[in-house]
Amino acid sequence: MAAADSPSAALRRDLCSRGIRLAGKMRADVVDLLEAYVEQQGLDASASVAAVEGVPLAAVERWDEQTGTQRLLENLAAYRAFRALLAQMLEEQREQLGEADAGLGRALAAVLLQVSAFAYHLEELLRLESRGIPGEEEDGPPPPPRLSLFEQKLRGLGVLRELAQWAVRSVRDLRQLAKPGPATGAAPSPAENP
Amino acid sequence: DSPIQYERLGADVAMKCGSMDWDAAVTWTVNGTDIDESHLNGSYLILKNVHLSQSGQYSCYEGSSWHLKYQTYLRVGTPPKEPVLMCRSNNYPKGFYCSWHLPTPTYIPNSFNISVIHGTKDMVCEKDAIPKNRCHIRYLQLFSTVKYKVTLTVTNALGKNFTTLTFDEFAIVKPDPPESVVAKPVPNNPRRLEVSWQNPSSWPDPESFPLKFFLRYRPLILDQWQHVELSDGTSHTITDAYAGKEYIIQVAAKDNDIGTWSDWSVAVHATPWTEEPKHLTTEAQITETTSASTSSFMAPPTTKICDKGAVVGSGAMAVCWTAGLVVAAYSVLFI
Repeated sequence: MAAADSPSAALRRDLCSRGIRLAGKMRADVVDLLEAYVEQQGLDASASVAAVEGVPLAAVERWDEQTGTQRLLENLAAYRAFRALLAQMLEEQREQLGEADAGLGRALAAVLLQVSAFAYHLEELLRLESRGIPGEEEDGPPPPPRLSLFEQKLRGLGVLRELAQWAVRSVRDLRQLAKPGPATGAAPSPAENP
Repeated sequence: DSPIQYERLGADVAMKCGSMDWDAAVTWTVNGTDIDESHLNGSYLILKNVHLSQSGQYSCYEGSSWHLKYQTYLRVGTPPKEPVLMCRSNNYPKGFYCSWHLPTPTYIPNSFNISVIHGTKDMVCEKDAIPKNRCHIRYLQLFSTVKYKVTLTVTNALGKNFTTLTFDEFAIVKPDPPESVVAKPVPNNPRRLEVSWQNPSSWPDPESFPLKFFLRYRPLILDQWQHVELSDGTSHTITDAYAGKEYIIQVAAKDNDIGTWSDWSVAVHATPWTEEPKHLTTEAQITETTSASTSSFMAPPTTKICDKGAVVGSGAMAVCWTAGLVVAAYSVLFI
Protein backbone atom coordinates (compact mmCIF):
# COMPACT_ATOMS: atom_id res chain seq x y z
CA MET A 1 0.00 0.00 0.00
CA ALA A 2 3.00 2.30 0.47
CA ALA A 3 3.39 2.28 -3.33
CA ALA A 4 -0.04 3.91 -3.68
CA ASP A 5 1.23 7.04 -1.86
CA SER A 6 4.60 7.30 -3.57
CA PRO A 7 5.32 10.32 -5.77
CA SER A 8 5.63 8.11 -8.86
CA ALA A 9 2.26 6.51 -8.15
CA ALA A 10 0.70 9.96 -7.75
CA LEU A 11 2.37 11.12 -10.97
CA ARG A 12 1.16 8.00 -12.77
CA ARG A 13 -2.40 8.65 -11.62
CA ASP A 14 -2.10 12.26 -12.73
CA LEU A 15 -0.73 11.31 -16.15
CA CYS A 16 -3.45 8.69 -16.52
CA SER A 17 -6.16 11.21 -15.60
CA ARG A 18 -4.84 13.70 -18.15
CA GLY A 19 -4.54 10.95 -20.70
CA ILE A 20 -8.14 9.94 -20.06
CA ARG A 21 -9.27 13.50 -20.68
CA LEU A 22 -7.15 13.72 -23.84
CA ALA A 23 -8.56 10.46 -25.14
CA GLY A 24 -12.11 11.50 -24.28
CA LYS A 25 -11.77 14.77 -26.18
CA MET A 26 -10.07 12.99 -29.06
CA ARG A 27 -12.90 10.50 -29.30
CA ALA A 28 -15.56 13.21 -29.37
CA ASP A 29 -13.67 15.00 -32.18
CA VAL A 30 -13.13 11.78 -34.13
CA VAL A 31 -16.85 10.96 -33.92
CA ASP A 32 -17.70 14.44 -35.29
CA LEU A 33 -15.03 14.08 -37.99
CA LEU A 34 -16.38 10.65 -38.93
CA GLU A 35 -19.85 12.10 -39.42
CA ALA A 36 -18.52 14.93 -41.58
CA TYR A 37 -16.27 12.57 -43.53
CA VAL A 38 -19.10 10.16 -44.36
CA GLU A 39 -21.31 12.99 -45.53
CA GLN A 40 -18.75 14.85 -47.58
CA GLN A 41 -17.27 11.75 -49.16
CA GLY A 42 -20.73 10.50 -50.11
CA LEU A 43 -20.35 7.25 -48.19
CA ASP A 44 -22.94 5.05 -46.48
CA ALA A 45 -22.40 5.35 -42.72
CA SER A 46 -23.44 1.72 -42.19
CA ALA A 47 -21.14 0.34 -44.89
CA SER A 48 -18.94 -2.51 -43.70
CA VAL A 49 -15.30 -1.90 -44.37
CA ALA A 50 -12.96 -4.88 -44.46
CA ALA A 51 -9.89 -4.63 -42.26
CA VAL A 52 -7.43 -2.40 -44.07
CA GLU A 53 -3.77 -3.27 -44.12
CA GLY A 54 -1.78 -1.05 -41.83
CA VAL A 55 -4.75 0.13 -39.75
CA PRO A 56 -4.30 -1.06 -36.16
CA LEU A 57 -7.38 -2.90 -34.93
CA ALA A 58 -8.68 -1.93 -31.52
CA ALA A 59 -10.30 -5.35 -31.06
CA VAL A 60 -8.50 -7.40 -28.43
CA GLU A 61 -9.06 -10.74 -26.73
CA ARG A 62 -8.57 -11.17 -22.98
CA TRP A 63 -8.30 -7.41 -22.54
CA ASP A 64 -8.67 -7.71 -18.78
CA GLU A 65 -5.60 -9.95 -18.57
CA GLN A 66 -3.22 -7.49 -20.22
CA THR A 67 -0.37 -6.03 -18.18
CA GLY A 68 0.11 -2.30 -17.92
CA THR A 69 3.17 -2.45 -20.16
CA GLN A 70 1.27 -4.35 -22.83
CA ARG A 71 -1.45 -1.73 -22.75
CA LEU A 72 0.97 1.16 -23.10
CA LEU A 73 2.99 -0.48 -25.87
CA GLU A 74 -0.05 -1.49 -27.89
CA ASN A 75 -1.56 1.96 -27.52
CA LEU A 76 1.67 3.65 -28.55
CA ALA A 77 2.10 1.44 -31.61
CA ALA A 78 -1.49 2.15 -32.62
CA TYR A 79 -1.32 5.93 -32.29
CA ARG A 80 1.99 6.11 -34.13
CA ALA A 81 0.35 4.20 -36.98
CA PHE A 82 -2.67 6.52 -36.88
CA ARG A 83 -0.37 9.52 -36.99
CA ALA A 84 1.05 8.29 -40.29
CA LEU A 85 -2.34 7.25 -41.67
CA LEU A 86 -3.98 10.58 -40.84
CA ALA A 87 -1.06 12.48 -42.35
CA GLN A 88 -1.53 10.45 -45.53
CA MET A 89 -5.29 11.11 -45.50
CA LEU A 90 -4.65 14.82 -45.11
CA GLU A 91 -2.28 14.85 -48.06
CA GLU A 92 -4.74 12.92 -50.23
CA GLN A 93 -7.51 15.28 -49.16
CA ARG A 94 -5.50 18.32 -50.22
CA GLU A 95 -4.55 16.71 -53.54
CA GLN A 96 -8.12 15.78 -54.37
CA LEU A 97 -10.04 18.77 -53.22
CA GLY A 98 -7.55 21.59 -52.73
CA GLU A 99 -9.38 24.38 -50.98
CA ALA A 100 -12.83 23.04 -51.82
CA ASP A 101 -13.13 21.17 -48.55
CA ALA A 102 -11.00 23.17 -46.15
CA GLY A 103 -13.30 22.39 -43.22
CA LEU A 104 -12.70 18.66 -43.46
CA GLY A 105 -8.98 19.27 -43.89
CA ARG A 106 -8.90 21.42 -40.77
CA ALA A 107 -10.80 18.81 -38.77
CA LEU A 108 -8.41 16.10 -39.96
CA ALA A 109 -5.44 18.25 -39.01
CA ALA A 110 -6.88 18.89 -35.55
CA VAL A 111 -7.37 15.18 -34.92
CA LEU A 112 -3.87 14.47 -36.23
CA LEU A 113 -2.53 16.94 -33.68
CA GLN A 114 -4.43 15.23 -30.88
CA VAL A 115 -3.19 11.82 -31.98
CA SER A 116 0.39 13.10 -31.93
CA ALA A 117 -0.10 14.62 -28.50
CA PHE A 118 -1.58 11.41 -27.17
CA ALA A 119 1.30 9.36 -28.56
CA TYR A 120 3.70 11.68 -26.78
CA HIS A 121 1.65 11.33 -23.59
CA LEU A 122 1.94 7.54 -23.82
CA GLU A 123 5.71 7.88 -24.21
CA GLU A 124 5.74 9.93 -21.00
CA LEU A 125 3.87 7.15 -19.21
CA LEU A 126 6.31 4.56 -20.51
CA ARG A 127 9.25 6.68 -19.34
CA LEU A 128 7.63 6.91 -15.91
CA GLU A 129 7.45 3.15 -15.77
CA SER A 130 11.15 3.08 -16.70
CA ARG A 131 10.25 1.14 -19.79
CA GLY A 132 12.23 1.68 -22.92
CA ILE A 133 10.30 3.46 -25.60
CA PRO A 134 10.35 1.44 -28.80
CA GLY A 135 11.95 3.42 -31.58
CA GLU A 136 9.95 4.31 -34.60
CA GLU A 137 11.00 2.59 -37.78
CA GLU A 138 13.26 5.02 -39.65
CA ASP A 139 12.09 3.97 -43.06
CA GLY A 140 8.57 3.15 -42.03
CA PRO A 141 6.49 0.51 -43.76
CA PRO A 142 6.75 0.32 -47.53
CA PRO A 143 4.40 2.81 -49.24
CA PRO A 144 1.05 1.17 -49.98
CA PRO A 145 0.00 0.68 -53.58
CA ARG A 146 -1.77 3.66 -55.09
CA LEU A 147 -5.47 3.33 -54.41
CA SER A 148 -8.37 4.54 -56.47
CA LEU A 149 -10.30 7.52 -55.15
CA PHE A 150 -13.10 5.28 -53.90
CA GLU A 151 -10.65 2.92 -52.21
CA GLN A 152 -9.03 5.92 -50.53
CA LYS A 153 -12.40 7.03 -49.18
CA LEU A 154 -13.18 3.56 -47.84
CA ARG A 155 -9.79 3.31 -46.24
CA GLY A 156 -10.32 6.69 -44.64
CA LEU A 157 -13.63 5.46 -43.22
CA GLY A 158 -11.87 2.40 -41.80
CA VAL A 159 -9.10 4.54 -40.28
CA LEU A 160 -11.51 6.87 -38.52
CA ARG A 161 -13.73 4.08 -37.26
CA GLU A 162 -10.81 2.20 -35.74
CA LEU A 163 -9.43 5.42 -34.28
CA ALA A 164 -12.77 6.05 -32.56
CA GLN A 165 -12.66 2.54 -31.07
CA TRP A 166 -9.06 3.02 -29.97
CA ALA A 167 -9.99 6.24 -28.20
CA VAL A 168 -12.52 4.34 -26.10
CA ARG A 169 -10.08 1.51 -25.49
CA SER A 170 -7.37 3.96 -24.44
CA VAL A 171 -9.67 5.48 -21.81
CA ARG A 172 -10.30 2.02 -20.42
CA ASP A 173 -6.61 1.09 -20.57
CA LEU A 174 -5.59 4.23 -18.72
CA ARG A 175 -8.21 3.62 -16.04
CA GLN A 176 -6.73 0.17 -15.50
CA LEU A 177 -3.28 1.71 -15.32
CA ALA A 178 -4.42 4.31 -12.81
CA LYS A 179 -5.59 1.66 -10.37
CA PRO A 180 -3.33 1.29 -7.36
CA GLY A 181 -1.30 -1.89 -7.24
CA PRO A 182 1.61 -3.39 -9.15
CA ALA A 183 1.88 -0.82 -11.91
CA THR A 184 2.87 -2.25 -15.22
CA GLY A 185 4.21 -5.58 -14.05
CA ALA A 186 2.66 -9.01 -14.38
CA ALA A 187 -1.07 -9.36 -14.82
CA PRO A 188 -2.88 -10.16 -11.55
CA SER A 189 -3.14 -13.90 -10.99
CA PRO A 190 -6.64 -15.40 -10.86
CA ALA A 191 -6.23 -15.93 -7.10
CA GLU A 192 -5.85 -12.18 -6.60
CA ASN A 193 -9.04 -11.38 -8.45
CA PRO A 194 -12.14 -10.97 -6.27
CA ASP B 1 -50.87 -41.51 -25.79
CA SER B 2 -52.89 -40.22 -28.70
CA PRO B 3 -51.03 -38.66 -31.58
CA ILE B 4 -51.34 -34.89 -31.80
CA GLN B 5 -52.88 -33.25 -34.82
CA TYR B 6 -52.17 -29.56 -35.33
CA GLU B 7 -54.55 -27.47 -37.39
CA ARG B 8 -54.66 -23.77 -38.26
CA LEU B 9 -57.21 -21.54 -36.65
CA GLY B 10 -60.07 -21.10 -39.12
CA ALA B 11 -59.19 -24.14 -41.23
CA ASP B 12 -61.63 -26.88 -42.27
CA VAL B 13 -60.66 -30.25 -40.79
CA ALA B 14 -61.74 -33.72 -41.90
CA MET B 15 -60.91 -36.60 -39.55
CA LYS B 16 -60.92 -40.17 -40.81
CA CYS B 17 -61.91 -42.88 -38.42
CA GLY B 18 -58.76 -44.93 -38.79
CA SER B 19 -59.23 -47.66 -41.41
CA MET B 20 -63.04 -47.62 -41.30
CA ASP B 21 -64.87 -47.33 -44.61
CA TRP B 22 -66.64 -44.14 -45.49
CA ASP B 23 -70.07 -45.71 -45.00
CA ALA B 24 -69.25 -47.43 -41.69
CA ALA B 25 -71.42 -46.61 -38.71
CA VAL B 26 -69.29 -44.78 -36.19
CA THR B 27 -69.64 -42.49 -33.22
CA TRP B 28 -67.29 -39.60 -32.62
CA THR B 29 -66.67 -38.05 -29.24
CA VAL B 30 -64.71 -35.03 -28.09
CA ASN B 31 -63.31 -35.17 -24.57
CA GLY B 32 -65.75 -38.00 -23.86
CA THR B 33 -68.87 -36.19 -25.14
CA ASP B 34 -70.74 -37.49 -28.18
CA ILE B 35 -70.55 -35.33 -31.28
CA ASP B 36 -73.79 -34.71 -33.13
CA GLU B 37 -74.21 -36.61 -36.40
CA SER B 38 -74.67 -33.34 -38.28
CA HIS B 39 -70.88 -32.96 -38.16
CA LEU B 40 -70.35 -36.28 -39.93
CA ASN B 41 -69.87 -36.95 -43.60
CA GLY B 42 -70.17 -40.73 -43.66
CA SER B 43 -67.67 -41.86 -41.05
CA TYR B 44 -65.59 -38.69 -41.43
CA LEU B 45 -65.81 -35.99 -38.83
CA ILE B 46 -65.96 -32.56 -40.46
CA LEU B 47 -65.03 -29.47 -38.48
CA LYS B 48 -65.42 -26.24 -40.42
CA ASN B 49 -63.57 -23.05 -39.52
CA VAL B 50 -62.02 -24.58 -36.41
CA HIS B 51 -61.62 -22.39 -33.38
CA LEU B 52 -59.47 -22.65 -30.29
CA SER B 53 -62.22 -24.11 -28.13
CA GLN B 54 -62.38 -27.09 -30.44
CA SER B 55 -58.98 -28.31 -29.27
CA GLY B 56 -59.35 -31.59 -27.43
CA GLN B 57 -59.26 -35.34 -27.61
CA TYR B 58 -61.29 -36.78 -30.48
CA SER B 59 -62.21 -40.46 -30.47
CA CYS B 60 -63.98 -42.60 -33.03
CA TYR B 61 -65.89 -45.78 -32.05
CA GLU B 62 -67.28 -48.50 -34.24
CA GLY B 63 -71.07 -48.26 -34.26
CA SER B 64 -72.32 -51.33 -32.45
CA SER B 65 -69.24 -52.73 -30.76
CA TRP B 66 -67.96 -49.42 -29.40
CA HIS B 67 -64.47 -50.52 -30.21
CA LEU B 68 -62.13 -47.57 -30.27
CA LYS B 69 -60.96 -47.24 -33.83
CA TYR B 70 -59.13 -43.97 -33.84
CA GLN B 71 -58.04 -41.31 -31.40
CA THR B 72 -56.21 -38.04 -31.79
CA TYR B 73 -55.55 -34.91 -29.85
CA LEU B 74 -56.50 -31.87 -31.91
CA ARG B 75 -54.56 -28.69 -31.19
CA VAL B 76 -55.82 -25.58 -32.95
CA GLY B 77 -53.27 -22.81 -33.31
CA THR B 78 -51.47 -20.44 -35.67
CA PRO B 79 -48.07 -20.37 -37.34
CA PRO B 80 -45.68 -17.96 -35.61
CA LYS B 81 -45.55 -14.29 -36.54
CA GLU B 82 -42.18 -12.54 -36.76
CA PRO B 83 -40.69 -12.75 -33.25
CA VAL B 84 -39.59 -9.69 -31.30
CA LEU B 85 -35.90 -9.87 -30.43
CA MET B 86 -33.85 -7.65 -28.14
CA CYS B 87 -30.16 -7.80 -27.23
CA ARG B 88 -28.53 -5.81 -24.48
CA SER B 89 -25.37 -5.65 -22.43
CA ASN B 90 -26.15 -4.77 -18.81
CA ASN B 91 -22.91 -6.30 -17.55
CA TYR B 92 -20.31 -4.77 -19.89
CA PRO B 93 -17.60 -5.79 -20.57
CA LYS B 94 -18.49 -9.38 -19.63
CA GLY B 95 -21.04 -10.07 -22.32
CA PHE B 96 -24.60 -9.51 -23.48
CA TYR B 97 -27.93 -11.29 -23.51
CA CYS B 98 -30.72 -11.60 -26.03
CA SER B 99 -34.35 -12.13 -25.17
CA TRP B 100 -37.38 -12.66 -27.34
CA HIS B 101 -41.10 -13.16 -27.44
CA LEU B 102 -43.88 -13.63 -29.95
CA PRO B 103 -46.12 -10.62 -30.60
CA THR B 104 -49.21 -12.85 -30.53
CA PRO B 105 -49.64 -16.34 -29.03
CA THR B 106 -49.78 -19.38 -31.32
CA TYR B 107 -51.61 -21.57 -28.78
CA ILE B 108 -49.37 -24.51 -29.69
CA PRO B 109 -45.81 -25.35 -28.66
CA ASN B 110 -43.00 -23.35 -30.31
CA SER B 111 -39.29 -23.96 -30.45
CA PHE B 112 -36.69 -21.20 -30.77
CA ASN B 113 -33.27 -21.34 -32.30
CA ILE B 114 -30.81 -18.47 -32.02
CA SER B 115 -27.60 -17.98 -33.95
CA VAL B 116 -24.97 -15.33 -33.27
CA ILE B 117 -22.26 -14.44 -35.75
CA HIS B 118 -19.43 -12.01 -35.15
CA GLY B 119 -17.76 -11.37 -38.48
CA THR B 120 -17.21 -14.89 -39.74
CA LYS B 121 -17.18 -16.48 -36.32
CA ASP B 122 -20.15 -18.44 -34.94
CA MET B 123 -20.76 -17.83 -31.28
CA VAL B 124 -22.74 -19.91 -28.82
CA CYS B 125 -25.59 -18.21 -26.99
CA GLU B 126 -26.15 -20.19 -23.82
CA LYS B 127 -29.80 -20.50 -22.94
CA ASP B 128 -30.86 -19.36 -19.51
CA ALA B 129 -32.92 -21.76 -17.41
CA ILE B 130 -35.06 -18.86 -16.25
CA PRO B 131 -36.43 -17.10 -18.13
CA LYS B 132 -36.70 -19.60 -20.97
CA ASN B 133 -36.76 -17.04 -23.74
CA ARG B 134 -33.30 -15.69 -23.08
CA CYS B 135 -29.68 -16.59 -23.74
CA HIS B 136 -26.35 -14.97 -22.96
CA ILE B 137 -22.96 -14.64 -24.63
CA ARG B 138 -19.56 -13.85 -23.24
CA TYR B 139 -17.53 -11.32 -25.19
CA LEU B 140 -14.46 -12.96 -26.67
CA GLN B 141 -13.20 -9.63 -27.99
CA LEU B 142 -13.63 -6.07 -26.86
CA PHE B 143 -13.49 -2.81 -28.84
CA SER B 144 -14.29 -4.52 -32.12
CA THR B 145 -15.77 -2.54 -35.02
CA VAL B 146 -17.14 -5.76 -36.50
CA LYS B 147 -20.88 -6.03 -36.00
CA TYR B 148 -22.76 -8.87 -34.35
CA LYS B 149 -25.58 -10.52 -36.27
CA VAL B 150 -28.22 -12.37 -34.25
CA THR B 151 -30.89 -14.44 -35.98
CA LEU B 152 -33.81 -15.91 -34.09
CA THR B 153 -35.96 -18.57 -35.76
CA VAL B 154 -39.21 -19.73 -34.23
CA THR B 155 -40.81 -22.95 -35.45
CA ASN B 156 -44.02 -24.78 -34.66
CA ALA B 157 -46.04 -27.51 -36.33
CA LEU B 158 -47.83 -24.97 -38.53
CA GLY B 159 -44.89 -22.91 -39.80
CA LYS B 160 -41.82 -20.87 -39.01
CA ASN B 161 -40.65 -17.29 -38.91
CA PHE B 162 -37.48 -15.40 -38.06
CA THR B 163 -35.97 -12.03 -37.33
CA THR B 164 -32.42 -10.66 -37.46
CA LEU B 165 -30.68 -7.99 -35.41
CA THR B 166 -27.36 -6.44 -36.36
CA PHE B 167 -25.48 -4.21 -33.92
CA ASP B 168 -22.05 -3.22 -32.75
CA GLU B 169 -20.57 -3.82 -29.33
CA PHE B 170 -21.10 -0.32 -27.95
CA ALA B 171 -24.64 0.26 -29.15
CA ILE B 172 -26.32 -2.33 -26.92
CA VAL B 173 -24.65 -1.33 -23.65
CA LYS B 174 -27.43 -0.32 -21.26
CA PRO B 175 -26.95 -0.75 -17.52
CA ASP B 176 -29.71 -1.76 -15.14
CA PRO B 177 -31.18 1.14 -13.11
CA PRO B 178 -29.35 2.31 -9.99
CA GLU B 179 -30.29 0.46 -6.80
CA SER B 180 -31.11 1.38 -3.24
CA VAL B 181 -32.14 4.94 -4.02
CA VAL B 182 -32.68 6.82 -0.77
CA ALA B 183 -33.88 10.41 -0.32
CA LYS B 184 -33.79 12.12 3.06
CA PRO B 185 -34.59 15.60 4.35
CA VAL B 186 -31.69 17.69 5.64
CA PRO B 187 -32.28 18.88 9.21
CA ASN B 188 -32.87 22.63 9.50
CA ASN B 189 -32.87 23.01 5.70
CA PRO B 190 -36.40 23.38 4.37
CA ARG B 191 -35.32 23.39 0.71
CA ARG B 192 -32.87 20.49 0.64
CA LEU B 193 -33.11 16.78 0.05
CA GLU B 194 -30.15 14.41 0.16
CA VAL B 195 -30.32 11.65 -2.43
CA SER B 196 -28.01 8.64 -2.57
CA TRP B 197 -27.97 5.43 -4.60
CA GLN B 198 -25.78 2.49 -5.55
CA ASN B 199 -24.42 1.18 -8.82
CA PRO B 200 -26.58 -1.63 -10.24
CA SER B 201 -25.28 -4.92 -8.85
CA SER B 202 -25.21 -6.41 -12.35
CA TRP B 203 -22.51 -3.91 -13.46
CA PRO B 204 -19.35 -5.92 -12.83
CA ASP B 205 -16.56 -3.35 -12.65
CA PRO B 206 -17.66 0.22 -11.92
CA GLU B 207 -14.09 1.23 -11.11
CA SER B 208 -12.77 0.47 -14.58
CA PHE B 209 -16.07 1.16 -16.32
CA PRO B 210 -17.56 4.00 -14.30
CA LEU B 211 -21.17 5.00 -14.67
CA LYS B 212 -22.61 8.46 -14.88
CA PHE B 213 -26.06 9.29 -13.56
CA PHE B 214 -29.13 11.32 -14.36
CA LEU B 215 -31.37 12.37 -11.52
CA ARG B 216 -34.90 13.69 -11.97
CA TYR B 217 -37.20 15.08 -9.32
CA ARG B 218 -40.46 16.99 -9.01
CA PRO B 219 -42.99 17.82 -6.32
CA LEU B 220 -46.04 15.58 -6.53
CA ILE B 221 -48.20 18.63 -7.19
CA LEU B 222 -46.36 19.52 -10.41
CA ASP B 223 -45.88 17.61 -13.68
CA GLN B 224 -42.57 19.07 -14.79
CA TRP B 225 -39.36 17.30 -13.82
CA GLN B 226 -36.08 18.92 -12.89
CA HIS B 227 -33.01 17.10 -14.23
CA VAL B 228 -29.41 16.90 -13.06
CA GLU B 229 -26.61 15.00 -14.78
CA LEU B 230 -23.82 13.76 -12.53
CA SER B 231 -20.54 12.53 -13.93
CA ASP B 232 -19.30 10.90 -10.75
CA GLY B 233 -20.37 9.99 -7.27
CA THR B 234 -23.50 8.24 -6.11
CA SER B 235 -25.14 11.04 -4.18
CA HIS B 236 -26.54 14.51 -4.76
CA THR B 237 -28.16 17.21 -2.67
CA ILE B 238 -31.22 18.91 -4.12
CA THR B 239 -31.11 22.54 -2.96
CA ASP B 240 -34.15 24.08 -4.63
CA ALA B 241 -36.96 21.95 -3.28
CA TYR B 242 -40.24 23.65 -2.38
CA ALA B 243 -40.51 23.73 1.38
CA GLY B 244 -42.98 21.29 2.84
CA LYS B 245 -43.85 19.61 -0.47
CA GLU B 246 -43.54 15.90 -1.06
CA TYR B 247 -41.14 15.01 -3.85
CA ILE B 248 -40.77 12.07 -6.19
CA ILE B 249 -37.19 11.25 -7.22
CA GLN B 250 -35.65 8.81 -9.71
CA VAL B 251 -32.15 8.06 -10.98
CA ALA B 252 -30.85 6.53 -14.24
CA ALA B 253 -27.35 5.31 -15.15
CA LYS B 254 -25.17 5.12 -18.26
CA ASP B 255 -21.64 3.97 -18.97
CA ASN B 256 -19.44 7.05 -18.96
CA ASP B 257 -18.32 6.54 -22.55
CA ILE B 258 -20.67 4.29 -24.53
CA GLY B 259 -24.20 2.96 -24.86
CA THR B 260 -27.53 4.29 -23.67
CA TRP B 261 -29.25 5.33 -20.46
CA SER B 262 -30.80 2.75 -18.19
CA ASP B 263 -34.48 2.77 -17.36
CA TRP B 264 -35.42 4.98 -14.41
CA SER B 265 -34.93 3.53 -10.96
CA VAL B 266 -37.78 2.75 -8.62
CA ALA B 267 -39.22 6.10 -7.50
CA VAL B 268 -38.65 7.30 -3.95
CA HIS B 269 -40.61 9.94 -2.09
CA ALA B 270 -39.33 12.49 0.39
CA THR B 271 -40.41 15.78 1.91
CA PRO B 272 -37.90 18.47 2.94
CA TRP B 273 -37.48 19.25 6.63
CA THR B 274 -40.05 21.60 8.09
CA GLU B 275 -40.09 23.39 11.43
CA GLU B 276 -42.31 21.80 14.11
CA PRO B 277 -45.51 23.89 14.59
CA LYS B 278 -45.69 25.58 18.07
CA HIS B 279 -48.63 24.70 20.45
CA LEU B 280 -51.58 27.18 20.34
CA THR B 281 -52.20 28.71 23.81
CA THR B 282 -52.95 32.44 23.24
CA GLU B 283 -54.62 34.48 20.52
CA ALA B 284 -51.31 36.17 19.80
CA GLN B 285 -49.72 32.77 19.27
CA ILE B 286 -52.60 31.76 16.96
CA THR B 287 -51.96 34.85 14.83
CA GLU B 288 -48.23 34.11 14.81
CA THR B 289 -48.84 30.48 13.76
CA THR B 290 -51.17 31.51 10.94
CA SER B 291 -48.54 33.90 9.55
CA ALA B 292 -45.87 31.16 9.81
CA SER B 293 -47.98 28.52 7.99
CA THR B 294 -48.85 30.80 5.08
CA SER B 295 -45.16 31.50 4.52
CA SER B 296 -44.23 27.77 4.41
CA PHE B 297 -45.15 27.49 0.74
CA MET B 298 -42.89 29.67 -1.29
CA ALA B 299 -44.09 30.24 -4.84
CA PRO B 300 -41.33 29.61 -7.36
CA PRO B 301 -39.83 32.72 -8.94
CA THR B 302 -41.58 32.06 -12.26
CA THR B 303 -45.00 32.33 -10.65
CA LYS B 304 -44.32 35.65 -8.91
CA ILE B 305 -47.34 37.87 -9.35
CA CYS B 306 -46.00 41.27 -8.37
CA ASP B 307 -42.99 42.95 -6.79
CA LYS B 308 -43.05 44.26 -3.28
CA GLY B 309 -42.59 47.82 -4.60
CA ALA B 310 -45.82 47.60 -6.57
CA VAL B 311 -47.96 47.03 -3.47
CA VAL B 312 -50.49 49.60 -2.30
CA GLY B 313 -52.47 49.57 0.92
CA SER B 314 -51.43 47.60 3.98
CA GLY B 315 -52.23 44.54 6.10
CA ALA B 316 -55.10 42.36 4.86
CA MET B 317 -56.04 44.93 2.17
CA ALA B 318 -52.63 45.12 0.62
CA VAL B 319 -52.88 44.62 -3.13
CA CYS B 320 -50.38 45.14 -5.92
CA TRP B 321 -50.85 47.49 -8.84
CA THR B 322 -51.48 44.74 -11.33
CA ALA B 323 -54.18 43.06 -9.25
CA GLY B 324 -55.67 46.45 -8.51
CA LEU B 325 -55.98 47.28 -12.21
CA VAL B 326 -57.69 43.94 -12.92
CA VAL B 327 -60.17 44.49 -10.09
CA ALA B 328 -60.85 48.02 -11.31
CA ALA B 329 -61.45 46.79 -14.86
CA TYR B 330 -63.99 44.22 -13.70
CA SER B 331 -65.68 46.78 -11.49
CA VAL B 332 -66.16 49.12 -14.47
CA LEU B 333 -67.60 46.24 -16.50
CA PHE B 334 -70.29 45.46 -13.96
CA ILE B 335 -71.39 49.03 -13.05
